[in-house]
Amino acid sequence: MARLLFEWDYSHHPGAQSYPHLFKPIQIGNLSVPNRIKYAATEDNFNTHDGFITDADVAYMRERAKGVVGGLCFMQGVYMDPGRQGQGYVGQAACWDDKFIPGLKRIADAVHAERAVAGFQLMDCGRVGAVDVDYCHGPSAVPQRLRIFKPVQEMTKADIQDVVRQHVDAARRGVAAGFDMMEISGIVGYLISNFISSYTNRRNDEYGGDIRGRMRMVVEIIQGVKKVCGPDVPVGIRLCSEELLDDVRGNTPEESMETYQIAEQAGADYISCTLGWQESIYPVISRDIPMGNWVHLAKRAKQHVKIPIQMAYRLFKPGLPNEKIGAGELDIWEMCRSMIADPLMPKKVLEGRENEVRHCVACNLCLARLFRDAPMTCYINPVCAHESHPEFMDPKPAQEQKRIMVVGAGPAGLECAYMAARRGHEVHVYDRRGVIGGTLNEARNAPYGDDELWTCVEYQQAMCAKYGVQLHLGAEVTEALIQDELPDTVVLASGPVYPQLKAPGGDHTKLVNLLDVMSGRAPVGRKVVVYGNRKPGIGCALHLAKQGKKVTLVGREKSAGFDVNPSFKWRYLIYMRQAGISAYNDCVIEEVNDEGVIVKSYDGYRWPVVCDTVIVSEREANPSLKQVVQSEGIELFVIGDALVPRNLSSAVHDGYRIGMRV
Amino acid sequence: MPVDAEKEITRLWRALHAAQDEIGKTYYRWRQVALESAGPGAKPLDVGLRAAEVFGKEIGKGFLPRLNWLKGEEAFLMNLGRSLADIWGTEGGIAAAEKGAAAGEVTIRCTRDPWPSWAKEYGVPMEEVALCRERMFQAIIEDVSLFFNVPLKIELVKAIPRGQGETVMRLSKAA
Repeated sequence: MARLLFEWDYSHHPGAQSYPHLFKPIQIGNLSVPNRIKYAATEDNFNTHDGFITDADVAYMRERAKGVVGGLCFMQGVYMDPGRQGQGYVGQAACWDDKFIPGLKRIADAVHAERAVAGFQLMDCGRVGAVDVDYCHGPSAVPQRLRIFKPVQEMTKADIQDVVRQHVDAARRGVAAGFDMMEISGIVGYLISNFISSYTNRRNDEYGGDIRGRMRMVVEIIQGVKKVCGPDVPVGIRLCSEELLDDVRGNTPEESMETYQIAEQAGADYISCTLGWQESIYPVISRDIPMGNWVHLAKRAKQHVKIPIQMAYRLFKPGLPNEKIGAGELDIWEMCRSMIADPLMPKKVLEGRENEVRHCVACNLCLARLFRDAPMTCYINPVCAHESHPEFMDPKPAQEQKRIMVVGAGPAGLECAYMAARRGHEVHVYDRRGVIGGTLNEARNAPYGDDELWTCVEYQQAMCAKYGVQLHLGAEVTEALIQDELPDTVVLASGPVYPQLKAPGGDHTKLVNLLDVMSGRAPVGRKVVVYGNRKPGIGCALHLAKQGKKVTLVGREKSAGFDVNPSFKWRYLIYMRQAGISAYNDCVIEEVNDEGVIVKSYDGYRWPVVCDTVIVSEREANPSLKQVVQSEGIELFVIGDALVPRNLSSAVHDGYRIGMRV
Repeated sequence: MPVDAEKEITRLWRALHAAQDEIGKTYYRWRQVALESAGPGAKPLDVGLRAAEVFGKEIGKGFLPRLNWLKGEEAFLMNLGRSLADIWGTEGGIAAAEKGAAAGEVTIRCTRDPWPSWAKEYGVPMEEVALCRERMFQAIIEDVSLFFNVPLKIELVKAIPRGQGETVMRLSKAA
């Protein structure tokens, strides 16, 4: 009889009817898990730099535990060596000594307090480790492909035995801390994957050679960890189903499937199916990869092993995992980024509140920050990393109810509106357009997945409806309207202005507005210059290049995509190169004439670019109505692009914070 | 104001060549400092070769993300050869990679090399220029070989004497 930690009855919840396969139990090892949902181990850089658990991490985990409604909730992978070669993140939790057990226990307790299954992960970061020391370790001293990583020291056999022992000792500590399930991380370039891969393991001893030799250390770890965990604590492993390292002679998919079979034979109770390495040249999880693109790999894994298969990777919405679990092609739906964006996502799905889910937009800002030694945050979720701050998690009701006029129904305005309304204010949102969403209506037309950004507006729309925000669409706010309504507070979220080009020919007929182009209202010639090399300009340039236009991007920033986080920017740069877009960075348009434009570099060089159309994507803050509001003595806030033109994230974060404060 | 193409190109051309000229001068200024710091017992050639090795390792790091074994062995070697030739190009030289005499060989031919002139200006023997170039390329190749698990070698076949003629290097798979 399998052990059941907490009883859950989902039968009366609407989500269990809509997604019956997600909310049915499964047995993993000797443990019965009430549903098929897992918050997968994710680093957050919230812990102390010597590996002790902080309040921030406990609060972060408790929120995710609440979200999995009885499912699996895994804490971040811990590093296990006192030399810190295995540490890949500055705020990574440690487990190389018993002194870490009390802190780890706080996390297990927090997960149990939400009646979820607490998972512990063992993670030596291998060739992407050594964040605070000079050398990382690996099976062979293969040079690093990415400069950010440290040189690799080849491990001796004694080193390998140490690593096996460290895994076993850490597992024992995890069990002592109260965790219910154990997981070994063997993915994306971490130590275990380094041993498995023919790319990084060039050893000639018993820990190298063919795939069985390269799996030898993994087998020893699984067996050792199983022994200390005993029959009641299942042990799983995360393994690459495809390394995507064929350009550097990594493992074949067939070899990867063999690793699954070897892990199963060694005693693994489940496998979490992953793909790609940090060094892979192929994108795996960014927004340009279609949703569900990789789920066939779970099916293939299931054809090779009998133990349960779990998977994340661009499965952001419940429909597809529910279908695949029903079809027997997947066993557990894992989530990382989708539960960073909305920790309560599965709970909302269960409760039939799917429209209240704040969906991840796959921008990878969270990862970009982790790799740069910063605490994790979320592009779209202003509460992420503030779970231990009650003022963010549960903003206090307003002491006095105000009548608030929000000018602009874009992401900043809507975010502010619902938050203010949630706190008890009477909120009216005005927009001269007849639709909500602001400039996201146009931005969503950019290619490579930007339509997913619209999920933010859908969420905000649902929240505005929930908290009784009154929308006045097609209504332009004027001085007279403000004087008539005399609200207590005005929030200006009216978006940016697109100023006329300040150069000779700035009024030429070939100049058109960015929004008109992105919405298809303005005709565009065959040769186009897009002025402004930030995200809106790049989105427009790619949009037009896909239509076969010859596009030149000109902008003041030193590099195109200055405002895009590095974990996504590389995708844009590749697409721009593939589309043949010429980029002149650190440049301005000096003149527009009948032939085209004259571009001037920062150091004064000038050259002509022939074009039929010039699109100005540069933006400025929007000061309109500011003086009117101030002259009436009304409390004023300016947010989003109206304050400083930035991006969707800044709009959402601005809106939330002002909504909390007003 | 219309663009005066001749004026713009002349300014750019001068700026480019001034910047390229600084590459060699900076290196030889650094070499003087290194020799002084190393003391009277240090052999200049050893210092130069060590520098070439360090430079090679560093330059090689930039090669690794750009090379792709999936393009096939011949294309891989040619891309590597072109990348090596491009190093000369950025310094103001003229170099190109071409198919070698034997199968699986790539010849890198430099027909204009600014380094002998710089070396002469600083009183450095020509021999050092050629040997350092070879050592730098070898250091690059060592890491590329290790990274892709493909044994490669590069040999200096012919060196430019005093800046005339051509330097020829042969890139191939090691036995």
